Amino acid sequence: MMAKKIGKIVIYFLLVCIGYIYLEPIFEMISKSLMSADDVIDPSVQWIALHPTLGNFSVAARVLKMPGSLIHSIAFSAGLAALQTIVAAMTGYALSRYKFRGKQFWFTMILLAFIVPVTVLMIPRLIIFMQVQTSFGAQMIGTVFPQVLMAMFGQGVNGTILILIFWNFFNLIPYSLDEAAMIDGAGPFQVFFHIAMRLSVSTVLIVFLFAFVWNWNETYQTATYLGGTMDLLPLKLSTFDSMFSSNASSGMGSEGMYKINEAYKMSATLISIVPLLLLYACVQRQFIQGIENTGITGE
Amino acid sequence: MSARTAKRKKLKSFQRRQDKYGYLFMAPWIIGFIIFTFIPFVMTAYLSFTDVKQDIRGFNINFVGIKNYREAFLVNTEFTPALVAFLGMIIPYTLVIVIMAFILAMMLNAIVKGKSVFRTIYFLPVVVLSGPVMYQLMHLEPAVEGQINPLYYTFVIRMIYSYSEPLANAMVSLFDNLSIILWFTGIPIVLFINGLQKINPSLYEAARIDSATSWQILWKITMPIIRPTALIVTIFSIVQLGAMDNINPVLVQIKEKTANTSGGFGYAATLSWVYSLLVLVIIGIAFLVFRERKIKETHKYW
Repeated sequence: MMAKKIGKIVIYFLLVCIGYIYLEPIFEMISKSLMSADDVIDPSVQWIALHPTLGNFSVAARVLKMPGSLIHSIAFSAGLAALQTIVAAMTGYALSRYKFRGKQFWFTMILLAFIVPVTVLMIPRLIIFMQVQTSFGAQMIGTVFPQVLMAMFGQGVNGTILILIFWNFFNLIPYSLDEAAMIDGAGPFQVFFHIAMRLSVSTVLIVFLFAFVWNWNETYQTATYLGGTMDLLPLKLSTFDSMFSSNASSGMGSEGMYKINEAYKMSATLISIVPLLLLYACVQRQFIQGIENTGITGE
Repeated sequence: MSARTAKRKKLKSFQRRQDKYGYLFMAPWIIGFIIFTFIPFVMTAYLSFTDVKQDIRGFNINFVGIKNYREAFLVNTEFTPALVAFLGMIIPYTLVIVIMAFILAMMLNAIVKGKSVFRTIYFLPVVVLSGPVMYQLMHLEPAVEGQINPLYYTFVIRMIYSYSEPLANAMVSLFDNLSIILWFTGIPIVLFINGLQKINPSLYEAARIDSATSWQILWKITMPIIRPTALIVTIFSIVQLGAMDNINPVLVQIKEKTANTSGGFGYAATLSWVYSLLVLVIIGIAFLVFRERKIKETHKYW
């Protein structure tokens, strides 16, 4: 009995320690972002700033083109996430409800699509979009269209996981509900909208949230297709170091040049993740359940 | 006779309806997969043997044989070291992620109070994890210019250092970035807990009655049952780590070459093809390590 109790205490102790390691970068961000320039170069200052200042945030926000880039980021991620959610729901529904020929094959393809690194697809995708651009005269590169098209056709970020979440949830809905609706004269699309979708409001929310967060954090494709034509928060953060000197002092004149330091970098990083942290604080339960319900651990 | 054919007809039309609506719902994904994933995948393999020039009318693609490959491995002095650096990153990181996620899941599974609080903390990084954020966190310079990482003064690292310098450097970078690496365990922990909870408790009971120690139970019961989950976690970690564009040295290079639209496409295709094959080989190895072994029939039962 005693040994069991000691074991429990050890486990809690370890969990707290590791929890600290998890949160340490965020603590460091907060601590560094409050430091004035003097504190940053002072080796005796570790965690608590001697001369705390909020000025870093206003400078970092200016470089990040703050209010605008936040709104753009939210609209951009939410739009792509909505498209991805619809396609994932349809695909998951087909896999769960219909016994069409070649189903096993397409299921394997969905899993393989997750493994293939995006890098290998980038150049041909670029060429395809550029070809469309030259032959139809429609501007593609530098707009949101490439990513909108890919999200619309199910090739967005981590689309496989979104499909699996839906697939697993639809598998839990008893088939007799569909049959009852069909006897009452509902067609396949009515069953999909009025039975399956009506029952999976919480799943739709989960999938949308994951798609939102993943689209927000995806910068490799976004940087290639969109470039600098739209101010997005993560993209601004990825070019923060190089953009700092030219943007920080714009419109400030009197105070002269700013020199980049860790305090600015950490303030910028903190600003860029605060919206996500707020979102997580509201819906963390749904996030964890979403992954629990993917069913990819095999039933 | 006629009833039988009628029944067969009915079954046939049933199958036809299943096909029709199944593919109707799948259509967007299948079209997207062919246009944006399958064709590009094959096309990159072809482009890696070509020289792509862009002019006003479109693209000029000329077959050049293995010139790009020769250039990548023999002329370019940065590509091979970047591949090695990538391997040096992805292998230890993946190992740490999978092992840590498993240990944490075991510990979380053993407690009752405060479980959800810990899970919330461990899952939090999933929402903030992105290339730029990781880049900023991993490239914090020491406060004083040229300061040596204090980890180098610890006894163990000094011992390893005297034995092998690169190993010590790798260890230091691992410990230095431990928080960031642990950030990748968010989803794996949840998957492992999910897998652990599906193990039938009566199996443990039976083992205890047969006087098995906890250590034996871990290796003989938990590990074999959890293996499929471990495979998924490993693949997931490799994919996730590889996609972090700012910290992946190979991706940084490919990005540079892709941005150079004047004529670097063929060469960039070669680099990304080599890189992707490498990633797929790593995933294949993970698959071989974790695949179901057909030694005992009893395994099938679980």
